[in-house]
Amino acid sequence: MDAALSTLLSPIILFFLLGMVAALLRSQMTVPEAFAKGLAIYLMMAIGLKGGVEMSKNALTFDIIAIFIAGIALSFVIPAIAFYLLRASTKLDTTDAAAAAAHYGSISIVTFVAATEAVRLSGFESSGHLVALAALMETPAIITALLLVQRQNGAQAVAGAERGELVREVLLNASVVVLVGALIIGWIVGEDGNAKIAPFFVSPFQGVLCLFLLDMGLSAGRGLRQGWRQLDAGTIAFGLYMPLISALLATLTCAILNVGTGDAALFITLAASASYIAVPAAMRLALPKARPSVYLTLSLGITFPFNVTLGIPIYTFLASLVT
Amino acid sequence: MNTKHRIELIIERMAYKRACRIFEAEGAMGYTVLPAMAGFGNGNRWQRDTDISGSRDMVVIISINDQGTAEKVLDKLRTLLDEHIGVVSVSTVEVLRPERF
Repeated sequence: MDAALSTLLSPIILFFLLGMVAALLRSQMTVPEAFAKGLAIYLMMAIGLKGGVEMSKNALTFDIIAIFIAGIALSFVIPAIAFYLLRASTKLDTTDAAAAAAHYGSISIVTFVAATEAVRLSGFESSGHLVALAALMETPAIITALLLVQRQNGAQAVAGAERGELVREVLLNASVVVLVGALIIGWIVGEDGNAKIAPFFVSPFQGVLCLFLLDMGLSAGRGLRQGWRQLDAGTIAFGLYMPLISALLATLTCAILNVGTGDAALFITLAASASYIAVPAAMRLALPKARPSVYLTLSLGITFPFNVTLGIPIYTFLASLVT
Repeated sequence: MNTKHRIELIIERMAYKRACRIFEAEGAMGYTVLPAMAGFGNGNRWQRDTDISGSRDMVVIISINDQGTAEKVLDKLRTLLDEHIGVVSVSTVEVLRPERF
């Protein structure tokens, strides 16, 4: 309970709430767009380097490979569950439901970064390999969503000429390139190499994360304010219960596999988080008829605030139960 | 002065490269892409920096062409706008150097 309260009252969460409240109250406060993008690149680099350095210290074991496979499998399966739940409990059509479902199978790297800090504050260790898993879990959900639409509508979701554009957007988007690149660099340079850049990437990390989460709070608040009318009660409820269903599936997976508490908490967070960077962009290319006001409001306006404030303490608690 | 056709396409950012490929394939001599700040359409307000994915951003593409090229471009843009969010309009404009369009 104390750990959950200290996570909720940490500066990063409080700055996130400040941004969200400011946007909901229609404050004119903004973080300049280019600056926010720079902050995102910095955070991807920092978390990638950290993961790479940790990976250089911990050998890739069978247990880690097993959790990689489980993570990818969950990323394929969760959108199918989300899709059928949305179709059964809301009025969303096939395309809107598939697009929204894809967001829930993919991951939110900012939620993951916030969880990394929460896990560290709770005194648990993480191995660094989960950063690689975060990159691996970005894509499978998009494939599941496209297959679901194809199956329901009987037509190919993406035409041949546009498939290359979609693959580039999904596999080579800025967050994946920076995250995976920094992970490999961190793995190559190890602890010694990282020590030289630590004053830039380690010490200021928390402060930069506060700034970034302030901006994310503004984005989430604006998204919610502009898009909430598009969502009925069933859809809003889905944005709150779906991460818990994904978290339970991931918790069961952790109970079977041999995972440390820190890694389990991050794994559960990855499964429970919903994308709002890579997948919305991919959906505009692959399923342009899906309404962004539905899927972005759900993932960014409802699930992201839930995960960052209440979800992460719940997922850390679930991890401590099964490890 | 010479009369030409000015196509103004407002389209979601994620699809603008598809639109640009149409202008190029149909023989347009040039086009310019501009960022749009904010707007309202189909019951929704949108604003450029609302989400970090930038997937709700819109851009404006302006291209000036002769009538034949403009008609070919518009024919293809109609198909594109069946899928993607956007608005297209055409107006006649006077240009100083007709050989450039």
